[in-house]
Amino acid sequence: MKQRRLLCILILAFSPSVSFGGLRHFTFLYEAPTSARGSVELENWVRWQRITEPDRSDEVDFRHELEYGVTDKFQVSVYLADWFYEKNRGGAGFTYSDSALELIYNLTNPVDDPIGISIYAEIKAGDRLIELESKLIAQKNLGPLILAYNATLEAVWEGNDLAEREGEFSQAFGASYEISPRISAGMELLHEFVFPEWRDEGKIRNLFVGPNVSYRRGNWFVTVTALAQATDTDDEPDLQVRTIFGIGL
Amino acid sequence: MKSKRLAIFAGAIICLVDLSSCGTTSFAPPPVTTELARAGARQHVDLATLHEGRALFTSRCIECHTLPAVSQHSATEWPRLIDEMAGRASLKSTQRDAVLAYILVAHSQSP
Repeated sequence: MKQRRLLCILILAFSPSVSFGGLRHFTFLYEAPTSARGSVELENWVRWQRITEPDRSDEVDFRHELEYGVTDKFQVSVYLADWFYEKNRGGAGFTYSDSALELIYNLTNPVDDPIGISIYAEIKAGDRLIELESKLIAQKNLGPLILAYNATLEAVWEGNDLAEREGEFSQAFGASYEISPRISAGMELLHEFVFPEWRDEGKIRNLFVGPNVSYRRGNWFVTVTALAQATDTDDEPDLQVRTIFGIGL
Repeated sequence: MKSKRLAIFAGAIICLVDLSSCGTTSFAPPPVTTELARAGARQHVDLATLHEGRALFTSRCIECHTLPAVSQHSATEWPRLIDEMAGRASLKSTQRDAVLAYILVAHSQSP
């Protein structure tokens, strides 16, 4: 009920605009261009992941996000809700995780400048979670090919009394080729350095890689990426599939 | 298991190299040069409109797709294409006119 009310307020606040915020060619990377001033878009994320070691479990994460172009170079997004369904030996069920605020500022253009760059900041808060995330987004458009790179720093406090701490540095690289005006396909690579308790004693490194495909039509798009783990880390997904469905309001 | 994952990784790298080697011959749209400005003047398009149209073309259109070469469509096709996409790209009517003016002038100069 609370979420529905918030959604209505946001839609009414942004109602003068009916345009599209821009689509995603990747699901594990962000792109440098920001939404046009006044444009609003609703994005729904779904990610399924399977972990097999040490125990098998399946999880499906959901996100509902509203994206708004404040200026042509500055974009604000609100994650109305992040929630998930988990099934393991202990049982199964839905859990609300958090909501978040995301800001992206575009500095240079990926077509005209040598590299298109944007900076990103996000704050996420839930019952048992606080997360700060910053990101450098780089992109180059070469004709029908889009190359993107993200460097991300994350600090997480979670669990009871937010006593568990974790840091993460990740790099992601993506390529997307426009096969036709409606379809793009490519690949994404995600390399994570995880620091439990902000220490690097475990030397946890994760590498995920896999293909992506994006389809757009009218004022909506859908993009899907499937990533397989190329390392052998316990408690990390062996396979994960993320889908983003976006629609201009 | 590890060798299988390495094979996936190697396959992805090969795909990436393959992708980056094809179809990348046309990059940024033509800049607004003196020659383009002269062509614009002949078509009653001023310099400011050409600059605005190009800036909008290279910023708004890439929010959804890569940029086609101006020669990819005919001068009669461009107005319909721009009309179709102007709303999605949040272009006001004057901005839509500027984008179209730039494209048509650049198109008239393309080989």
